[in-house]
Amino acid sequence: MIAARVTPALSVHGLRAGYGNGGDIVCGIDLDQSPETILAVIGPNGSGKSTFVKALAGLLRPRAGTMAVTGNDVTHLSPAKRVMAGLAYVPQEANIFRNLTIRENLKLATEFLRGRTGVGPAQQAQVMELFPEIAQRPKLLAGNLSGGQRQMLAFACALLANPEVLLLDEPSAGLSPKFVGETMEAVARVRESGVTVLLVEQNVSAALRVADEVMVLVAGRKSLRVPAKDISNADLADLFFAKAG
Amino acid sequence: MTAYLTTLVVLVAVSALVGLALNLQWGVAGLVNFGVVGFVALGAYATALLAPALGWCGAMIVAAVLCAIVSTVLAFLSIRLEENYLAIVTIGFGEVVRILLLNETWLTGGAVGIADIPRPFVSLVSPARYDVVLLCFSLALVAIVFALLEILVRSPFGRALRAVRDDATVAAALGKPVLLLRIKAFAIGGAVMGVAGALHAFYLTYIDPSQFTSIITAYAFMAVIAGGRGSNIGLLFGAGSIMALLEATRFLKDAVEMTDGTQLAALRLGLIGVGIVLLLILRPQGLLPEPQRRVRDFFPDDGGSA
Amino acid sequence: MLAQLILNGFVTGLLLALPALALTLTFGILKFPNFAIGSMLTLGSYAAWIGNSLLGMPLAVAAIFAALAMAAVAMLSDVLVFSRLRDRGSITLLVASMGISLILENICRFGFGNSTRNFVFDVARPTRWHGLRINQEQLITAVVVIVCVILIQLLLYASPLGRAMRAVADNPSLAAVRGVERQTIARITWCLAGCLTALSGVLAGLDRAVDPLLGWNYQIPIFAAAILGGLGSPTGAIVGAIVIGLAEELSSLILPTNYRQVVSFAVILGLLLVRTQGLFGGKAVRK
Repeated sequence: MIAARVTPALSVHGLRAGYGNGGDIVCGIDLDQSPETILAVIGPNGSGKSTFVKALAGLLRPRAGTMAVTGNDVTHLSPAKRVMAGLAYVPQEANIFRNLTIRENLKLATEFLRGRTGVGPAQQAQVMELFPEIAQRPKLLAGNLSGGQRQMLAFACALLANPEVLLLDEPSAGLSPKFVGETMEAVARVRESGVTVLLVEQNVSAALRVADEVMVLVAGRKSLRVPAKDISNADLADLFFAKAG
Repeated sequence: MTAYLTTLVVLVAVSALVGLALNLQWGVAGLVNFGVVGFVALGAYATALLAPALGWCGAMIVAAVLCAIVSTVLAFLSIRLEENYLAIVTIGFGEVVRILLLNETWLTGGAVGIADIPRPFVSLVSPARYDVVLLCFSLALVAIVFALLEILVRSPFGRALRAVRDDATVAAALGKPVLLLRIKAFAIGGAVMGVAGALHAFYLTYIDPSQFTSIITAYAFMAVIAGGRGSNIGLLFGAGSIMALLEATRFLKDAVEMTDGTQLAALRLGLIGVGIVLLLILRPQGLLPEPQRRVRDFFPDDGGSA
Repeated sequence: MLAQLILNGFVTGLLLALPALALTLTFGILKFPNFAIGSMLTLGSYAAWIGNSLLGMPLAVAAIFAALAMAAVAMLSDVLVFSRLRDRGSITLLVASMGISLILENICRFGFGNSTRNFVFDVARPTRWHGLRINQEQLITAVVVIVCVILIQLLLYASPLGRAMRAVADNPSLAAVRGVERQTIARITWCLAGCLTALSGVLAGLDRAVDPLLGWNYQIPIFAAAILGGLGSPTGAIVGAIVIGLAEELSSLILPTNYRQVVSFAVILGLLLVRTQGLFGGKAVRK
């Protein structure tokens, strides 16, 4: 039980979003996430998880609702400005610059964040400790890395911005089971280093291994929000296949 | 007076034909063609060269077929590629045609051009009355081409083309022969441009390379954008609006002291550029949009129930 | 003589390198072929002519004046037109650039008519070197272009801005979530393209003369150079430009000189058949 009221690391109210002239895919979501926790967002295909996280990252303009990072409103900020406000994002695909070298990818992760607190050599050292394999071949083109290595590089680049909140869109997608395990361990280490993580995942069992809390999204709406230990397979089956609302 | 009206109608007719052709290629099939003037020139020269031997009708038909063949070749080379490449190839094509026409003097007469082009139905009436015949011929030609293209656009072929334009991957998954459809559309468009060139040749009875400049391409694009890509009626409206623009600048010359024709031509071309840009920003769907197909169009018996 | 042709071709190629670079940069970063590239060259040369002949600046100063003016024009066209069409697809942008091309070219024609103009510039006698004749214009072209190319390569591969530009070319939304504002990079790219085409306009105006069709006559070779090098590859644009310059010049051995543009066009067609991605480019297949 939490005695004192702590400012949520991530706070979302009434978020609605969609593409182009189409209907709402995210149909009003409320969310408060405590600092230094991992929240897994799960749900069936088409439930709007990816759209939700893109809207959080600023790649989709919200149609309604507000959003705040550590208490600062970011609703109308561009993606670049959200990074300055402490929000980092690792997309599902195309999450590194394939035509740039590893070193250039890493440099770019911090070059345009002048003024962002905590970005600097100390932070870089800390991040590289989490992902030691990346620094080994700096001149390699990032596009030539394996799927798992690209994932690590993408993580590292996002973390170099010293975020308060890290958004991950299906980090285990396309990875072999061994790498899925390693990836989830990396997510846990990221939380240990003081970052709040919101993790969209299709691979529910992998996510449940590290998540503190789970939010289930069905047809664009929040259907359930519980601590991870309280969720059972029966609950999930009910939610995934039950009628919406 | 009749002469002026004929000039106006023939100019509108040529623009309308070219616009209808580009509308098929770009508006309906999604293939952008910046080499419009090249095909028109090809049609005009083919007509001029063949008319003495084949008569005006035979020459016009052969010109259309020739343009269709050349279109097919160009399309075949670039249609598998990203749309930018077809655009770039066609940019070059128009200019290359102009250079060839200017330099292959043995065939085209070079800068001097070809004169004494036979005209349609010229033996029917006295020379004094011929203007009326040509006027009616132009209108009839546009009407026939318009009707044929409308039938085409509403046919299964047209629907398939629009499906390919909107989402080629889905269309292919549905079994539509994407490449073949696109090439056919490009070829038909090319043929119509050839016919436009023939009309141009018949009207002027004398052609030379200087008549075929990029303004023809610019007019065509403006007509298609103003008319709303895909809509043939809108296209005629678009062609009409360009002519209105042309005529307005003619009066400008009298109203404002303009020293020479070059400035007027520059003003006209510049205004077309401005028009294209403004229309793309403000009214991308054209002045009259493509009619949205409703469920009723496909299931006329269904009372609208889900 | 063959060696002379090769020299001339090499220098012609260098002249093409600047607008080809501009074209490939705008294609890579802004994702569309810029139809207005020729007209930007024309306007750039007229801007330099205004500075040089009307305002009495030395040609070098006028060239800088023209580069700044064209950077402003290019940026203005982005603010007014291209930024409003940013997400509408490359064909819409291409057609819009055709509209811009008509506007820019005809501003020149309206203001100065169709007659040719020349820069006020004392041309020194050609140098002779091992039997080859080298004009002063060729020397100037070579020096200016090589300096520009070195600066651009340094910018792109050794500076944060260059990294940001290449990142936006690679993945605009990822660049955004790494702190790079796409709008800013777009504006900078246009400014750079404006400078490069203006400089090439001055060099072309020195080589030939200034008239409204100056840039249009380079349109096909510029596109051929960029495609040959691989659209989006700066190194490719430079190499492609030199090859096109050589091809056009050497073609005069078998074709009349009026056919130079046909040679470039043939190169484009040939590339489409054989290797669409050019020498250094990526895939070009339609989805």
